Amino acid sequence: MTHVLDAKGAELRPVSTQLRSMVQQDSVVVKNAAHLHGLCGGLKSGEVTIQGDSGDYLAVLNDGAVIRVTGSAGMYVADNMTEGKVLVEGDADYGAGQYCYGGTVVIKGSAGDFAGTMNKGATIIVGGDVGDEVGTYMVGGDVVIAGDAGRNLGNYLIRGNIYIKGDWASLGHNCKVENLAAEDSQRLEGLLAEHGMAGNGKDYRKITPVSDKPFYSHEEAE
Amino acid sequence: MATVGAFCVTLDRERCINSRMPGKCAACVEVCPYEVFSLNGHNEVVIQNYNTCVGCRICAEFCPENAIRINPAESEMVSRYPWTFGTMEEIHHKALTGEYLLRGFGTMGPTPHFDNIVVVPSQLASPAPRDKYREECNMEVVIGEETCEKPIRLQYPLIFPAMSYGALSKEAKLALAIGAAKTGIMTNTGEGGVVEEEPYYANGFERPNRSRKRWHPGGYLAIQWSTGRWGVSVDYVNAGDAVEIKIGQGAKPGMGGHLLGEKVTEDVARIRGIPVGSDALSPCRHYDVLAPEDVKKQVDLLRDVTNYEKPILMKLGPSRPYDDVKMAALAGVDAISIDGLAGGTGCSPDVVTQGVGIPTIACIGPAVRALKDLGLHRKVKLFALGGMRNGLDAFKAMAMGADGVGFGTAAEIAMGCRGCMACHQGNCPYGITSQNPKMTERLDPEEIGQRLANFIKATAEEVKILTMLSGHSDIQELSEEDLRALDVNTAAITGLKLVGYERALPWWENGRPS
Repeated sequence: MTHVLDAKGAELRPVSTQLRSMVQQDSVVVKNAAHLHGLCGGLKSGEVTIQGDSGDYLAVLNDGAVIRVTGSAGMYVADNMTEGKVLVEGDADYGAGQYCYGGTVVIKGSAGDFAGTMNKGATIIVGGDVGDEVGTYMVGGDVVIAGDAGRNLGNYLIRGNIYIKGDWASLGHNCKVENLAAEDSQRLEGLLAEHGMAGNGKDYRKITPVSDKPFYSHEEAE
Repeated sequence: MATVGAFCVTLDRERCINSRMPGKCAACVEVCPYEVFSLNGHNEVVIQNYNTCVGCRICAEFCPENAIRINPAESEMVSRYPWTFGTMEEIHHKALTGEYLLRGFGTMGPTPHFDNIVVVPSQLASPAPRDKYREECNMEVVIGEETCEKPIRLQYPLIFPAMSYGALSKEAKLALAIGAAKTGIMTNTGEGGVVEEEPYYANGFERPNRSRKRWHPGGYLAIQWSTGRWGVSVDYVNAGDAVEIKIGQGAKPGMGGHLLGEKVTEDVARIRGIPVGSDALSPCRHYDVLAPEDVKKQVDLLRDVTNYEKPILMKLGPSRPYDDVKMAALAGVDAISIDGLAGGTGCSPDVVTQGVGIPTIACIGPAVRALKDLGLHRKVKLFALGGMRNGLDAFKAMAMGADGVGFGTAAEIAMGCRGCMACHQGNCPYGITSQNPKMTERLDPEEIGQRLANFIKATAEEVKILTMLSGHSDIQELSEEDLRALDVNTAAITGLKLVGYERALPWWENGRPS
């Protein structure tokens, strides 16, 4: 059974309280939620579908729930997620998948600037293009981009990988481009297939960090 | 590196055991983290490089014969200023290495501070003084009384502000938690994640199942939500009694936390999710706050994920205190900390700590006026931070309108710090800002937690004395009428009445600059 929650005109607290209680029993569909920011925050389990567009900070601190948006997501979708999955059928605005420690973010359309910033362990897959400064100061995890990227891609990458099929306007500091190893392309194909996205892993290039100590503490300081 | 050439190191060879019996004692050589002393080929202690002395005085602590003197090169500060030896060495350092100076601690040297303000006691023309020894004084500060299901009731108007695990050792973090528990005040995780024992220690419990309360009355832990979001998860956000959104800090406003790789040990790296030895340089702003209204959205979402139970706090650096505090209050927080110029840090570029930000005494007035203009003064609690040393500073800040104050640097000093300013290097010989087990094992959290509790209790007593001698029996009654400025400059900055003149300066009208 699926619960349907119409959030039209409602504030965050009552919708969130109802949602938290419903999601413990069954999956929930939320309608008319584009005005609510921070919905589905910190859920540890359950399945939620946002019908249409979502507001900002959807699934912030998600810790295990599976959350799907049938339209487009607002800013900072899946902010600081630690576990679970967030699936956006449309586009994601500025700052998708920032500060995540784990879990998976899938954006079928495009993502805005600063997506995947300070990613610390999540897998973030974007079916379309991404904006500028994507993957800034990433310290772990993977970002997969099926389209093109803007300026300063992977700026001050410390750890983790960016896989990109298209082109980029410019690469950030501390990045280098590598060819894909066989296991990388296999893994990529698996990931893309899992989320219903076509693509050949071999078409991607991989961006990795040059050093994990690019600021004050250099290798020789050890 | 810390300040260069700031200390003269003297070894009294009449007293030194090693001078009499080479090879017999080399405690100073062993304990100095900066190789000021060394042994020569004859096993004799020599002062190898006094320029590297940071003034931590651990050598003097360990010297069994009290033979070592560490004296600041102060006279030169007068005779050769501004071209002191330290300034020249700093230029040499940059010229040789191409690197600017980093250091810990706060702003050094004279800046407008509380010292040019005095407290006005009560005599005949104002309500009679209250008797500190035989009458009561209310010191409680409640945060989130009308907005949260679990408000915070501080026994004293004092807090330990945010200092991260990483900047501080685990032992120091636990000492702060115990100190807070023993005094009923609040400590803060800082931005480096939560140390496992911190939440229940801060509440006064020895064990995670909270089966036995060991430290009474039990205090509180604020969980910091900062720009690097190190170690942040929904469980982290819910681990304490409040959540503090950090916008900035006094020592380096406009920059994020600096934790150099030297202090990023395996455990620090594990909590933060970064490689061992990699610098953790937090962003200067929240990447997930693009527009001012996003701050309110963050307050709302943090309330939601903490089930509307816990106060949401905000910490600001010293920038435009009136407008910043107004925006913070409009975002819906329960308490605001504003950290002034003299606020401390574990690591920052020297020029930033030294010269960026508004002095604490100039932040409080505008912050209070912002809250008054919104009708929120005393409802949204205001904490003044930055260079607070004692109950006298605390009283002055509170009479200017703050609800309470925070002791960061002073708390470190209460733990044993001697102010060497080299916190960033991770060599703290007192184990406070080090991650090296050799140093941190010197810090017993229980013993040092008691010292912190002693410091807070003594300081609270000072606040009580000053409150009562100025005719009040509740800290909320304090006002600017309880203070006078000693000089024109301080009167001009604060709007306080000038001693002798007994009025505010002419360009102040009804407590506001005209």
